Amino acid sequence: MSCCFLDLFAVQLLLECLIKGSSKKIITKEEWEKKLNDVKIRKEDMNKLVMNFLVTEGYVDAAEKFRKESGTEPDIDLATITDRMAVKKAVQCGNVEDAIEKVNDLNPEILDTNPQLFFHLQQQRLIELIRNGKVAEALEFAQEELAPRGEENDILQQSFLEELERTVSLLAFEDVNNCPVAELLDISQRLKTASEVNAAILTSQSHEKDPKLPSLLKMLIWAQNQLDEKAAYPRINDISTATLEDPGV
Amino acid sequence: MAQENDVIGLHFLELWRFNSKAAAAAATATTSTSSSSKEDAEFEEEPTELDTFNSSGMFSVVLSDKLSVQYPTVNLHGHDVGVVQANKPAPLKRLVYYFEIFVKNAGAKGQIAIGFTASGFKMRRQPGWEANSYGYHGDDGLLYRGHGKGETFGPTYTTGDTVGCGINYSAQEFFFTKNGKVVGTVAKDVKGPLFPTVAVHSQNEEVTVNFGKDPFVFDLKAFEAEERRKQQMTIDKISISQNASYEIIRSYLQYYGYEETLKQFDMASRSTVPPIALGQENGSSDTEITYAMNHRKTLRQLIRSGEIDDAFDKLRMWYPQIVQDNKSAMCFLLHCQKFIELVRIGKLEEAVVFGRTEFEKFYRLTEVDDLVKDCAALLAYEQPLKSSVGYLLEDSQREIVADAVNSMILSTNPNIADARVCLHSCLERLLRQLTACFLEKRSLNGDQGEAFYLGRLL
Repeated sequence: MSCCFLDLFAVQLLLECLIKGSSKKIITKEEWEKKLNDVKIRKEDMNKLVMNFLVTEGYVDAAEKFRKESGTEPDIDLATITDRMAVKKAVQCGNVEDAIEKVNDLNPEILDTNPQLFFHLQQQRLIELIRNGKVAEALEFAQEELAPRGEENDILQQSFLEELERTVSLLAFEDVNNCPVAELLDISQRLKTASEVNAAILTSQSHEKDPKLPSLLKMLIWAQNQLDEKAAYPRINDISTATLEDPGV
Repeated sequence: MAQENDVIGLHFLELWRFNSKAAAAAATATTSTSSSSKEDAEFEEEPTELDTFNSSGMFSVVLSDKLSVQYPTVNLHGHDVGVVQANKPAPLKRLVYYFEIFVKNAGAKGQIAIGFTASGFKMRRQPGWEANSYGYHGDDGLLYRGHGKGETFGPTYTTGDTVGCGINYSAQEFFFTKNGKVVGTVAKDVKGPLFPTVAVHSQNEEVTVNFGKDPFVFDLKAFEAEERRKQQMTIDKISISQNASYEIIRSYLQYYGYEETLKQFDMASRSTVPPIALGQENGSSDTEITYAMNHRKTLRQLIRSGEIDDAFDKLRMWYPQIVQDNKSAMCFLLHCQKFIELVRIGKLEEAVVFGRTEFEKFYRLTEVDDLVKDCAALLAYEQPLKSSVGYLLEDSQREIVADAVNSMILSTNPNIADARVCLHSCLERLLRQLTACFLEKRSLNGDQGEAFYLGRLL
C-alpha cells in the first residue's frame, strides 16, 4: 500500500517535470536516505566543530565543561578567551578606555599594526563621551587625540577624517536620537566595534576570527540551491530542526 | 520494540565496524592496488604529450619530443588540416584544466588553432569545424564551435605568441588566453571526454604544446584562486538566521546529554549583548530532546571512565527494557566494552573467563563474528594498544558505546514514534545533507569538478 503510494507520488513529480519541460532527476526520499546513510560523519569532527564555536564565540565556561564531558581539546588556550571576552564586554558596556588598556596588556602589537581598529576604538570612546554629555571633554579628545591622525594624506586617513567629522557632528544636534547620525549612538555601533576587536585578537592568536559552523550552514544552503538546478530531492528547509522535506519540483 | 532496539544497536555496530581491523585492512588493500581509497580516487591521468598514432598522418609531423607539431607540405585544400590530439583527455576532477601552445612559426598563412575535441574527431578538420569541438583560430581570431562559421572572439595570434585553452568545470565553460591574459569564455555544452587539440594548416607552421611540464605564461593559480573567491562570495552573501548556530549547538548538547556544557552555554547566552532568544519557537521539541538528560549524562560518564558494571546496573534499574534481551546488539556492545576494560587494566584472566561466558552466545551470530574476533585478539598481544586491534582501547570505542546507550534511552521516550530519529543529532543530519548534496551534484555533472571532503573544512 505505502509502496504504491510512493510510486504515484513519483509519477506525479515526473509529470510535473515533463509539463515544465525540465530534465531534472527525481530522487525519492527513500533513495536520498540511502545516500545519506552512506555519508559517515565522525563524532570527533562534530565535537571539534562544537568546541570551535564555543571557543570563537567566547563561551569559556561552556568550553571548559565540554572539554571534560566530551574529551575534546580546544584549539586555543582557554585562558586567553577570558581576556578576550573581558575586552569585548568592556566595549559593549562603553568602557572603551578600559578595553584599549586590556588589549595592550594582551598584546600591544594588535593596535600598533591595526590603525583602523585603533581609530574605531577611539571613535567609540568619543561617542561614549558625547553620549554621557561630556561636551568639553569630547571636544578636547576629538581635537587632541583623534584629529591629528586625520591630517596625513592617504586614503585611510581621509576616511578617518570623514568619520571623525561625522561623529563630532553629534554635538551639533539638540535631539541626538533623531539626528542624521543617530545610528552612531545605537547599541549596534558598540557591538560592531566590539566584534572588530574580538576578531583582531583572535587573528593575533592565529585563530580564525569566525566560527566554522555558520559558514557550513551557508554552504549547505548554497549546495542545496545548486543541486536544485539538477534534481528534485528531499531538501532541508528548516536548518534548526534539520527535517527532510518531500521532494518538490 | 525489539526491532526498534535493533535499528539503533545495529547502527552503532556499523559505526564500530567502520573502525575495525577488517575495515583498516580493506583500506590499506585498496591503497596498495590504487583503486578506491580516498586520495587515489582523485588521481586521474592527464595529457602529457601529443598522440602520435591518431593524428592526421601526412599533414602534420609530431617531432620526437612529442610536444611539437609541424606542417610539412603545401596545403592544397581545406581537408588537409594537420590536427593532433593529446594522448589523454582532459582530467575532470578538478576546478580547472588548462594547457598552452607557443607559436614557434606561423608559417605561410598562420592557420593555427587551439581547442578541445571529442574522442571521435575527424583528423583532417580544424577543431571547431565539427560537432563537439571548439577552437580558437590564429589567422582570424574567431571562435569556432560545431561548424565552419566562426564567431567574433579575440585577437589573432602569430609567431611568438603563447595561446592557452582551459576548461572551467565550476562555471562549465571554456576559456582562452593569449600571452597570459584571458581573451574570452564560451559555454561548454558538450559531455564526455575532451582532448586538448592543436591544428596547423599551412607550410612551415610549427607550435609547441605545454601540458604543464613547464610553467605556464598564464597565472593559473591566480585564476583558480579567483574562481574560489567568487564562489566563496556567493556563499558568504547567503544570510542565515542569527540564532541558527546557537540552536544547533544547543540541540547537539541536548542530544548527546552534555548537560553541564548546556547549562553553562545557556547561562552565558542569556547574558550576551544582544541576548539570544533560544528555544522559544519550538519549545515542544526542546522538552523531547531534554528527555532523560540527567540519566544520559550519568551513563556517558560511567562508560567514558570505563565503569561498565556500574553502567549496566544503572541501566537495569532505570531502563530495564534496554538490557532485557541478552542477545541484543546493545548488550553485545556493553559486554564487549566490559571485556575491553578488563584487558585495559591488565586483568587478563578475568577477561578470559568473562569472554568465555559472554561471547559464546554471540559467537554463533555471524553478523558480529568479526567484532568478537577483534575483541578476542586483544589477548594475543603483550602491548595490545600497538596492535592491529589497538583501536578498541581508544576513547572512540567507549564513545560508540556511550552514544549507543544515549540513543537507546532517547528511543524509550514514549513521544517518539520512529526510533530512527534518535540516531543522529541535528548537526549530524545537516552535515550529512551537505555532503550528500555535493556528492550528488558532482555525480549528476559527470563527476566534473573538485571533490568534496567535509574533513578539509572542519
